Amino acid sequence: MNNIIKKINFYNLNRTQVLGIIFIVQMIVQSIFIPYYFSIYGFFDASRAFVEIGIISLGMTLVIISGGIDLSVGALLALVSVSIGFSYDAGFPMWAAMLLGLLAGVLGGAFNGVVIAFFRVHPLVVTLGTFALFRGIAFAISKGGAVSKFPEWFGFLGQSYVWGYVPAQLFLFLILSIIFWIILSKTSLGRYIYAIGNNIKTTTFSGIAVGKVQIYIYTLTGFLVGVAGIIHTSRIFTARGNAGFELELACIAAVVLGGARITGGSGTMAGTILGVLILNYLKDGFLFYGLRSDWGLVIIGLFLIIGVFINEFFRKK
Amino acid sequence: MEDIVCILNNISKTFGENVFACKNVNLKLNCGEVIGLVGENGAGKSTVVKCLYGLHSPSSGSIVIADKEVLFKSPKDSEQHGVFFIPQELDLFPELTIIENLFIGKKIPRNWIGNFDWKVLEKQADEIFNNLGVSFDFYMPLKLLSAANAKLVEIARALINEAKIIIMDEPTAALTQKEVKKIFEIINNLKKKKVSFIYISHRLDEIFEIADSITVLRDGELIISDHKNKFTKSKLVQYMVGRPLDQIFYRTKNKIGKKILEVKHLSYENNFKEVNLELKKGEIVGLAGLIGAGRSELAQTIFGLRKYSSGEIYINEKKININSVNDAIKFGIAYLPEERRSQGLILPFTIIWNMTLSSIKNFTSFGYINNHEEIKFVKKSSEKFTIKGAKISSPVSQLSGGNQQKVLVAKTIATKPKIIILDEPTRGVDVGAKAEIYKIIDDLANQGNAILLISSELNEVISMSDRIYVMHEGKIKGEFQKNEFNAEKIASVSAGII
Amino acid sequence: MKKKYNNLLIKFFSRPETPVLVFLFFLIFIISIFTSNFLTVANLKGILEQVVVISIIALAVNQVIYGAEIDISTGSLLAVCAFVYGLVAMETGGSWIALLASLLCGFIFGLFNGFLSTYGKVPSIIVTLGMLFILRGGLLLSNPGTVLNLIEPMRFFGMGNIFGLPVSIYCLIIVIIFYHFLSFNTLWGRNIIAIGGNPRAAVNIGLPINKVRMLSFVGSGTMCGFAAAVYLGQAGQIQATAATGFELKVIAAVVLGGTSIAGGRGSNFSPVVGALLVGVILNALTLNRIPPYYELFVLGLLILIAVSFDGFRRKLLEKDV
Repeated sequence: MNNIIKKINFYNLNRTQVLGIIFIVQMIVQSIFIPYYFSIYGFFDASRAFVEIGIISLGMTLVIISGGIDLSVGALLALVSVSIGFSYDAGFPMWAAMLLGLLAGVLGGAFNGVVIAFFRVHPLVVTLGTFALFRGIAFAISKGGAVSKFPEWFGFLGQSYVWGYVPAQLFLFLILSIIFWIILSKTSLGRYIYAIGNNIKTTTFSGIAVGKVQIYIYTLTGFLVGVAGIIHTSRIFTARGNAGFELELACIAAVVLGGARITGGSGTMAGTILGVLILNYLKDGFLFYGLRSDWGLVIIGLFLIIGVFINEFFRKK
Repeated sequence: MEDIVCILNNISKTFGENVFACKNVNLKLNCGEVIGLVGENGAGKSTVVKCLYGLHSPSSGSIVIADKEVLFKSPKDSEQHGVFFIPQELDLFPELTIIENLFIGKKIPRNWIGNFDWKVLEKQADEIFNNLGVSFDFYMPLKLLSAANAKLVEIARALINEAKIIIMDEPTAALTQKEVKKIFEIINNLKKKKVSFIYISHRLDEIFEIADSITVLRDGELIISDHKNKFTKSKLVQYMVGRPLDQIFYRTKNKIGKKILEVKHLSYENNFKEVNLELKKGEIVGLAGLIGAGRSELAQTIFGLRKYSSGEIYINEKKININSVNDAIKFGIAYLPEERRSQGLILPFTIIWNMTLSSIKNFTSFGYINNHEEIKFVKKSSEKFTIKGAKISSPVSQLSGGNQQKVLVAKTIATKPKIIILDEPTRGVDVGAKAEIYKIIDDLANQGNAILLISSELNEVISMSDRIYVMHEGKIKGEFQKNEFNAEKIASVSAGII
Repeated sequence: MKKKYNNLLIKFFSRPETPVLVFLFFLIFIISIFTSNFLTVANLKGILEQVVVISIIALAVNQVIYGAEIDISTGSLLAVCAFVYGLVAMETGGSWIALLASLLCGFIFGLFNGFLSTYGKVPSIIVTLGMLFILRGGLLLSNPGTVLNLIEPMRFFGMGNIFGLPVSIYCLIIVIIFYHFLSFNTLWGRNIIAIGGNPRAAVNIGLPINKVRMLSFVGSGTMCGFAAAVYLGQAGQIQATAATGFELKVIAAVVLGGTSIAGGRGSNFSPVVGALLVGVILNALTLNRIPPYYELFVLGLLILIAVSFDGFRRKLLEKDV
């Protein structure tokens, strides 16, 4: 484990270990209360739904550590999905449609980054605006309708298995997790992100182009939304404008639960991933147990507030 | 009016380890008196005064107001005891109206409907403003007032709250001659009304005009306190500066080479105009001056943090454009910022991460950091600069000020610069570390680097430099060669006297 | 010098809502040229109805933003309070007691939001973002398919008429007067602007930062309760998905009106102007047969434009590195 991260995010490393323990305990408890839950199939199948959240949370981690926030990821997901579906419907070859979706994600993220960096508007307000803007564009393209006809192979990413019982998207999530873990903890970009989240002035004085870094991380997040959008459309085999509802909530909650301070400067990928796992298996467990999906909203909302509360209230200043 | 209204007894303030901002400062303020508080940058004036108005609590010593010992926990506390601070820059609420600012935080009377009855307060405000000799539309937002008038509103607020002691920090910094006259008129009137002042300023002319007595601080200690008639301007400068030519470091012999950096007609907004200076290889050039002279702004402009509005920069006689910090670093310029804690270091980061923040690209291939190389470099630098006190993997906040500064120096030269600008490199550093830093700077010069040393400590500037520029109010007012070095002359030029 | 500032003209032009007001009139002019049935009494009445509900809440959220905080839970809270109103009204048959219940509901949640955001040290964006979903989720869970239908007498606050004017307009006027009084005649009103504008000085002077900020949330919550009575009165029926996304209209109204999202600056009437702008624009979309889902797009664009303007203005004023 990275020596340096251990020392800086001392609070977080303990945190990551604690989260790991919580997760294991949670799995055991859930499998006791819910018969047949803790089978290999159940465990992996549940992951299909949250891989999309997980992938986007990787980007959200970078954003939050840098001291920002992105409320528009759910809306952007809808835009990506709709771009894929409706361009395919309009006659584009499937691979081109997928590329278009990816492009939509990248452009959306870049838009966020540019407005934040150039106009110096707080990320909160910008992404609140794009939260509406992207959703609006998605609805405009889809005209309220949906596309559900795709070539059969398109369902591979979202619905099939690799090596027997590992869902394809989980595999992709694993790869992306490793890549982003490397980016955050082993590259200069990661260093700069921590720096910006801690002290923008010093970072500027050190010769780092803060604006450029911000544009990178929001664009990267947009790219991840693009990937998640492809997976999502593949999984439910439908493209419609209301996809990704409450997605941003789930991502922010996962990152915060993982130990990142909402004000920026600290956090780890491992923490975020565990946060994603804990939150979503909990939600899934409730669903399995018979609770309605709307419980998901309440649980995640609660965890978000409680997570930040624990981070902030008990911190000695 | 010889009643003593306030006594500071042996006020000392330390900020961790051995760094004291002020030590055993005694001050006696009489009723209706103006004390002119003078001293170089870093002499401890603002620390002493912050203890008096409640922003700091003294590490030792006591404050007595009207024969009672007091302990202030906040500016609100001190205001309740009649002590008010008027900062150099407006610190009220521009969006609120004048009368709202005057009475902010206080209870406002109501009329029979239940509305605020500003009319009642208008009378009070009218009286105060009449005494000050001005009149404003009370219902105008504060943001529409000029700097001078806003200052009057701050004074008025203090008076409305029955201020007995008003501390003013560089009150005339942004004022015209006429406005300064007005302020002095007001101070003299208030003196008759038994209000006492502590007047901090670098403008010695003004001190002699307005103050009754003068207190001089140097290096955090009280040097002398006496009636103003006992001072002459040059004597005052002498007290502020200390024994002339107190050599605190002996430079090793160095070879001065060709011109490497030249700046012509450089200007930036209101901060500095038409600055011409040059640096040669292997040379240490001092840049003396007071706070607000524009030295840091000049340095930051050369370093690409600010975009100059006119002028040219030349490196090795070739004209270049600096549009960003990245440009400056590419041209071999480095800048060690004035504020170690807020501009130079990231306190929660480890020593390693701090030291390589500017130069991380030296240890990366395709963005991937080679931790081995990085740690090797940091270990080497730590040894070279004898950084002690914590493991390199600990947060830099655990180090003493001197060691933190050494980390900052190591960070600054990690980009392998040829031109190094140091902004107050030994501020807040204990004596031992200071000597070490001087040696480091000396070595850097010997290696052929050009160094611009911004410092407010005259002894330091004189001991270390080969040549000294003096800045005053945004312009270079003097250049001294080594054989012309004279502490009092330099201080006088800094203060605008010569 | 004393008389000069009282000159009404100068006062008018230096208010933050003046440019928006001018733009609004200009917009109305343009729209009425291109859209035939825009300037009809029926249509204008319809706009006003929407605008009243947005305005009531926006006036309260305006104060929250003065204090450099934010509240994006108002849509969900509006729906919750509307349900409370509906249930109590159906149970008791009285609209006033239902109003009381609705106000109480809003008050409690506002207090909760405020407490967590200040003493609880959780940033208000997180608290209100979380509450947005918790309240909505709670509503969906407890009333999955329910559609509440109200009969005439209970719809007083939305449908009633006093002396020819809709009750809802009276409600809005009451809230405008209320916030005008609060802002200019209480210490709280002056303090919230001070705290948002210069927090450091506010601390030094000893203003009660947490208490003042918390009260601003109590205001926004209670106003959700008040607006709910009008909202339900107008609509006549409600289901658990009502007012989804409403908070965006509120925020758009506040920032378009000219209040700075950074805090400490704005006017007490401008949220109404902003709400009018939102209402007019959305109405123009409807009249021109532009499908309803373009609403979000337009709202998002408006918010982005308004805050980019504000950000640019601040960037120009800021000379520091």
